Amino acid sequence: MKVDSFRFASPLIKRYYQLSRVKKELPIPFSPLGKPLSQCRLSLVTTGGLYHLGHDRPFDQERERREPAWGDPSYRAIPTDVDLKEIAVSHLHIHPDDPTADPNILLPVDRMKELVAEGRVGSLAAKAYSFMGYQGFPADHSGWKEKYGPEVLAALRADRVDAVLLTSA
Amino acid sequence: MPVLARLFEAGGIATVVVTNMPFWAERVGVPRTLAVEFPFGHPLGAAHDRQMQRRVILAALDLLERATAPGMIQDFPEPWPGTVAEGRRASEPRIPAPITAQMGRHIGKFLRGMRRSG
Repeated sequence: MKVDSFRFASPLIKRYYQLSRVKKELPIPFSPLGKPLSQCRLSLVTTGGLYHLGHDRPFDQERERREPAWGDPSYRAIPTDVDLKEIAVSHLHIHPDDPTADPNILLPVDRMKELVAEGRVGSLAAKAYSFMGYQGFPADHSGWKEKYGPEVLAALRADRVDAVLLTSA
Repeated sequence: MPVLARLFEAGGIATVVVTNMPFWAERVGVPRTLAVEFPFGHPLGAAHDRQMQRRVILAALDLLERATAPGMIQDFPEPWPGTVAEGRRASEPRIPAPITAQMGRHIGKFLRGMRRSG
């Protein structure tokens, strides 16, 4: 099966993406896993706009409503022992119902705990990280590149994380 | 998402991205990508379908271990268990995103920028 990127996309999104000219930056960075996954510490990162209700602020939707060509570049650190009922979705570009009902479809903390218990993965990091994927139109990733991405990288390294599973909304 | 994967990877952490937009991963260049033909907001499968989520995650973890060079994009072989219309209803916001109403204006600006850079 060849995956069609636009099967579920609106014609507008398809057109925008196909018109976008992007220069591939080479080389693509690469850090091979240095040991079996069963000995690795793994963390989770999503761009699904998830946040921890009662602990985090949602992403800045008010500013996005005022300035629709802007998207909040910040992130939320979410403890992986969170009660998933306390996870909410703050993302104006996706329907929140399914990821609210089961956050595992974006941030699979339950599935990862099962795989750790089975020995497939060494351990799950104490924190997962959530960004909100809409970074403006045209997209401006400078906040991720210069500030928030490096902050999360530093936190991952401080927690001795070997590998990250990322999901995009 | 490609930006974050590349940044973590450059910092010494192995990454695998699960996305329904391999088109973008291919263009930008992502260390390891598992492509799924699922609606937006559902990269790991259907809500409450533990087995489906598990199959996607295991495929992503296999890729994480197996890839020997950057840029690998693997297609997850299972289709979405529903129609396109159902998938779009489950993934598109109830109220269109604010940018949608302004898209015409911004597309004009975007195209002018492209002509300048092209």
